Amino acid sequence: MRRSRAATVLLTTAAALVAVSVFLPLWWVFASSLRPGNTYVENMTPLSWLAFIPIGGDFTNYAALGSGAFLLGLFNSFLVAGLTIVLGLAIAIPAAYALATMRFPGRGLVFSFIIVVAMIPFDAIAIPLSSLFQQWRLSDSYAGLILPALANGFAIFVMRQFFMGIPQELIEAAEVDGLGRFRTLWSIVLPLSKPALIGAGMMLFLSQWQAYLWPLLIGTSPERQLAPIVLANLSTQFTVDLGQILAGSFVLSIIPMILLLFFQKQYTESLSTTGLKG
Amino acid sequence: MSDSLTRRGTAADAVAPRRPAPPRDRKHRTARIRSTRRRTTLVAFAMLAPALVVLVAMRVVPLFSAIGLSFQHVSLATGETTFDGLANYLYLFTDGNFYSMLVVTLVFNLILNPVIVVLSTALALLLVQHVPFVGVWRSMIFVPAAVPGAVVALIWSTALQPDGLVNGILQSVGLPAQPFLTSANQAAFSIGIMVTWGALGYWMIFIIAGLKDIPASLYEAASIDGAGWWRRLFAITLPLLKRPMAFVLIACTVGSFLLFAPVQILTKGGPNGSTNLIMYDIYNRSYLLGDIGVGQAEVVVLLVILSLIVALQFRMMKEDD
Repeated sequence: MRRSRAATVLLTTAAALVAVSVFLPLWWVFASSLRPGNTYVENMTPLSWLAFIPIGGDFTNYAALGSGAFLLGLFNSFLVAGLTIVLGLAIAIPAAYALATMRFPGRGLVFSFIIVVAMIPFDAIAIPLSSLFQQWRLSDSYAGLILPALANGFAIFVMRQFFMGIPQELIEAAEVDGLGRFRTLWSIVLPLSKPALIGAGMMLFLSQWQAYLWPLLIGTSPERQLAPIVLANLSTQFTVDLGQILAGSFVLSIIPMILLLFFQKQYTESLSTTGLKG
Repeated sequence: MSDSLTRRGTAADAVAPRRPAPPRDRKHRTARIRSTRRRTTLVAFAMLAPALVVLVAMRVVPLFSAIGLSFQHVSLATGETTFDGLANYLYLFTDGNFYSMLVVTLVFNLILNPVIVVLSTALALLLVQHVPFVGVWRSMIFVPAAVPGAVVALIWSTALQPDGLVNGILQSVGLPAQPFLTSANQAAFSIGIMVTWGALGYWMIFIIAGLKDIPASLYEAASIDGAGWWRRLFAITLPLLKRPMAFVLIACTVGSFLLFAPVQILTKGGPNGSTNLIMYDIYNRSYLLGDIGVGQAEVVVLLVILSLIVALQFRMMKEDD
């Protein structure tokens, strides 16, 4: 639709203003994290442009974090999130493939069951589940941290929707050629499904990277603690070094941001797939 | 299922010779089809098994365990459970703190969720326009959605300190500094701000997807009829956005009822119970006060409230259609 020049200028200004003000706190976190210790407050009252431009800053806070428990926490977070992606996909792919391409009695029922169970909000049942994990001797272990995130009905849903879009003839032709069901899935269907794999992988990763309640409940000993827990504990210590908290916050935020920068398209498409059923 | 039979039949016909098969042969063929069908079923369930096992063990079992334990008394000393009837529920429903927690949670949600839906719709309407660098603006607004909830809490607790970013900005425009998280009047509002900041960009994506589904021809027809921007917004855009907006409202409400990290990290439910939201209250009762049975009864209350809200909102959506 045609728009006057003035309207374009106005809309662009509005969009830029909103975007900058939403983004500002994050930029401030980055700029302040480069001021050693708590010295960032010197630029706060009165507010100076140095609060947003880290000229003269250094990496003291990052160095301090790197020598403490946070680094181990970061390693644990990566390990747990990585295993969640691999195992989560290994569980979701065959399930989604069976639901999308195979005809068997009870298929509709199984699919509805998965969707209904996916709608149970995990955090609400995390507290009862943590008592069960104690009985099952799974607390304070990597398995305990990973297992609940593997039950991701939305990942199955996203993969299924994508598999359903692959022409049935292609799958049948591959099977007629003697490729067998699993070879067809592995060498024909999966290479075509990269967007859905990335989307579902991102969902699994973010569900784990953003987790806080569960890793807190599972009561891990220091050597298996995840980074957000380490950082939150650091913030409640008697003498808080807020510069370090900001540096840690920035690290934990920039990692998913970089991934989203690369995979935003696939991720948002998967998100809107799950939204369609709403 | 009858559909699957006919389909399989046609597939087989395509490779089989075109003339009618003799009766004996047909019988043979149905037997073969039946055995392939049984094999397919078996393979399908084998492929579904891992997913079904984790879903049941990690979601369904704890759900029923919560319901079960809510009728039990769990001894703190021995961990032994004894059937206790409705005692946990009676305890909750005669506890004044439970009601003040419910009021805090409901008021918080009744304000926060509509605000998030309206703001994310407004942002989507703005950022769906073709303006220069729209991709950059959109990404900048989406970025906070990538920040983990606990980190959102830590960032904002620093920004809301007496000498933090927000007070710095307030004072630079001549406004007095505010106590934010340490004031009973402002703590819930402060948590609402950080949640909104972390959620807007995420929900905006869903509304933008909904906006893109609206056929451009509708707008063209409307502008030929001389309808202005506001008229088009209320006659075309908003009515057709009802589904994605309802989805966002439902999903956002469920998410906000489960809010935990900011309360646990920043306020511990205070000052004066003003941020004592239901998830923190459950955590507090089960872990800090060690009252597992009452905690589980409260989990059940939360699940009932959530189901009621989701059912109600689904129903409103259906009626509107």
